Amino acid sequence: MSKKERGETIWTSLDRKATAIAEFTMRQYRTRLSTWVVLGVGFLAISVVLLFYIDAMNTEIEAIDNDGDSVDWDGDGYVNGQEFKYGTDPLDIDSHPGLLDPSIEPEPASMYINEDDYDWDYSDASLISTGYDDDGDCRESQLLPSAQDGNSDGTPCNIILIYNAATDTYLIYADPNVDEDPDEDRYGKEAQHRAFILGVGKLGFVFLLSIFIPLFLATGLIRDEMTSGTMQYMTAKPIARGEIFLYRMLGYLAIVWPYLLVVCSILAIVSGFMGPGDQFFRFADLGVWFSILIAALLATLVYGMLFASLGVLWKYGIILALPIAAWELGMALLSMSVPDSSFLRMSIVGWSMSIIDSAAYLVWPDMDMFTAAGAWAGGSGEASIFFGTGNALPGYRALEWAQSDIGLGMGPYATTIVSMVVLLCQAAFFWFIGQLIFKSKEIV
Amino acid sequence: MIPDLAQEGAAVEKEWVPESQAPVVMFNNVGKTYGRYQAIGGISLALSGGVTGILGLNGAGKSTLFKLLMGKLRPTQGEVRLFGTNPWKNPAPYARVGYVPENENMHDWMTAFEFVSTFARLHGLTRDEAKNEAERVLEFVGLSDVMHKKIGRYSKGMRQRAKIAHALVNDPDLIILDEPLQGCDPLARTTIMNVIRELGRMGRTVLLSSHILSEIERITEQIVILHQGRLLAIGNLHAIREQLDNIPHTIEIECDDAKALARDVLNLEVVHGLQFPSSSKLKIFTHHLGEFHQRLPKIIVDNEHNVMAINNPDDDLQSILKYLTGGVR
Repeated sequence: MSKKERGETIWTSLDRKATAIAEFTMRQYRTRLSTWVVLGVGFLAISVVLLFYIDAMNTEIEAIDNDGDSVDWDGDGYVNGQEFKYGTDPLDIDSHPGLLDPSIEPEPASMYINEDDYDWDYSDASLISTGYDDDGDCRESQLLPSAQDGNSDGTPCNIILIYNAATDTYLIYADPNVDEDPDEDRYGKEAQHRAFILGVGKLGFVFLLSIFIPLFLATGLIRDEMTSGTMQYMTAKPIARGEIFLYRMLGYLAIVWPYLLVVCSILAIVSGFMGPGDQFFRFADLGVWFSILIAALLATLVYGMLFASLGVLWKYGIILALPIAAWELGMALLSMSVPDSSFLRMSIVGWSMSIIDSAAYLVWPDMDMFTAAGAWAGGSGEASIFFGTGNALPGYRALEWAQSDIGLGMGPYATTIVSMVVLLCQAAFFWFIGQLIFKSKEIV
Repeated sequence: MIPDLAQEGAAVEKEWVPESQAPVVMFNNVGKTYGRYQAIGGISLALSGGVTGILGLNGAGKSTLFKLLMGKLRPTQGEVRLFGTNPWKNPAPYARVGYVPENENMHDWMTAFEFVSTFARLHGLTRDEAKNEAERVLEFVGLSDVMHKKIGRYSKGMRQRAKIAHALVNDPDLIILDEPLQGCDPLARTTIMNVIRELGRMGRTVLLSSHILSEIERITEQIVILHQGRLLAIGNLHAIREQLDNIPHTIEIECDDAKALARDVLNLEVVHGLQFPSSSKLKIFTHHLGEFHQRLPKIIVDNEHNVMAINNPDDDLQSILKYLTGGVR
């Protein structure tokens, strides 16, 4: 029977060769102990971070009296906040609400901790007037109306936010005693949760797993068989070396991609249930997790092609791969601090991370306002004579470190598409180079 | 590009067509050097059909020759053609070739059946076709009872046969076997030799290499002798020997009564010397090996000698090489 009669097309024969080599490669990986060691260590490393996260979510963040009104300066039994409320002198032991007529009983200090939490609508980034004085120490205070409207916007006891495009930050102008004692636990949990997702996504998945798994698994993809001589069998078949390279890669991806999917899903599910908030499950976060998965899949593809090519180039290709890994680490850190640096365009990790940043921008559009609120910390975050150089809310620093803006100067969708296309082009480029080297190699 | 999942596409696969007039294997002034070391130099050779033994000592360039043919190595000079195609540039001719490398490393984690059927699929066979073919060739080399065992647990002879099976799976026109008998026990040797002879009878072109003449001799008379990377001789093994008549050949005969046999063979003109290493052994010196071998059976039968063995002790590769290179005996 001729090939035509059997319904042969170029696709059927491609399918046969491609799946044969991919399946072969997959099984070969599965029989090697080193594969399981590498994947196991990666899983352990990610699990340790997950344990820290679970611990953080289960630990109540200690409430801090950001405005200092729960202390009793004069020692008369009435905390400053209560004395302010009734207009007595907090510095005079002989002036307190107990001497008023009728006499007022002292309130516990705990009533003056976290008593005025943020009432901001983070979801509306254009909102410039926000805040509500929950405890009434602005609205019901003895302050003059002009003093109640310290930011002079015509509304007493509010906060106005002004977006500064030049620095990409919010300037916060608050009337006195408005939202001045936020709830550390509420803010901190949310900030830690987001910092965990972004941090583990960027450094855990896109950097650690996506570099080290290909480094150990893909560098020997072609090289190991060239060294042991078993490549003789495959190269004696009517199949081009470029195809061998590509189909071996498919086998590698068939191991690595499901692994990433599983690990990423575990983290998404655990953090979805453990995360802060009233909802049963944080569904919106899945968008960020999905972008982390996509970024990691593409990164393992590109690094796999690159490292496999280096392995073909030289017997000790891993030595060539190490400086690249170091460069990528530098780029990873750079992308988290200076996301618009043009150096990042000469990396793999930079493009991968901008996919995550884009998704974070879409899922958490309030990010800039949210971090601004953490830095401000009810006023005590600003440098002041009382509190020194600022006490940001807990979780703020971690979030500020893990989060970065979209560095490409495009919208989130455009950035995602461009980054994915660039990564795919990188993979194709490294495959092309790798198979060229492979073709020129003599197999002894 | 969307895969043609329904397999209905009319895409015409450009099939590789061998040049009809070209010899199966052709070397034209081929040389290969590694740095300053010359593995082979200036070899010209064309082969088509039959079983050919490539003879040479270790390092003579046998494997290099095969690797050049299989596109593993790139010739430093000259041109190599496999079915008229340059194998370094184009892997298409391998569809008609089976190659058994010398390398002893194999995919030990696979069973022979998996090994053969997986690599069969690289010839474009479907899974089912590949399985059927694998069963057929494993049966052919006599491994069907152990084919579902891991190759790592095989003996050397079984491994060698698994390698041969994998090379036969595409029903090749040319089979290249690099030292197929090396390290095999006598039983495996016999099996492999039978397989190779069978392939020759089926009309395939078979190339096999060895450094042991007696092995090749049992399979084929058509030989190529390589020495230090050069082509030393090509043709019928015995014809080569016959051309070397000015140098005496030695034949050793083991029999009951060496002296009686000596008396009878001395009558032959071609015999010009005798030696008695022991009472049951006779060494005969002759210039005309072929003629002597023609007459010997009649003498043995007519005089009812009981002969246990007839050996040509110097008819091994070393001595042939010595003759051919003009070495002193």
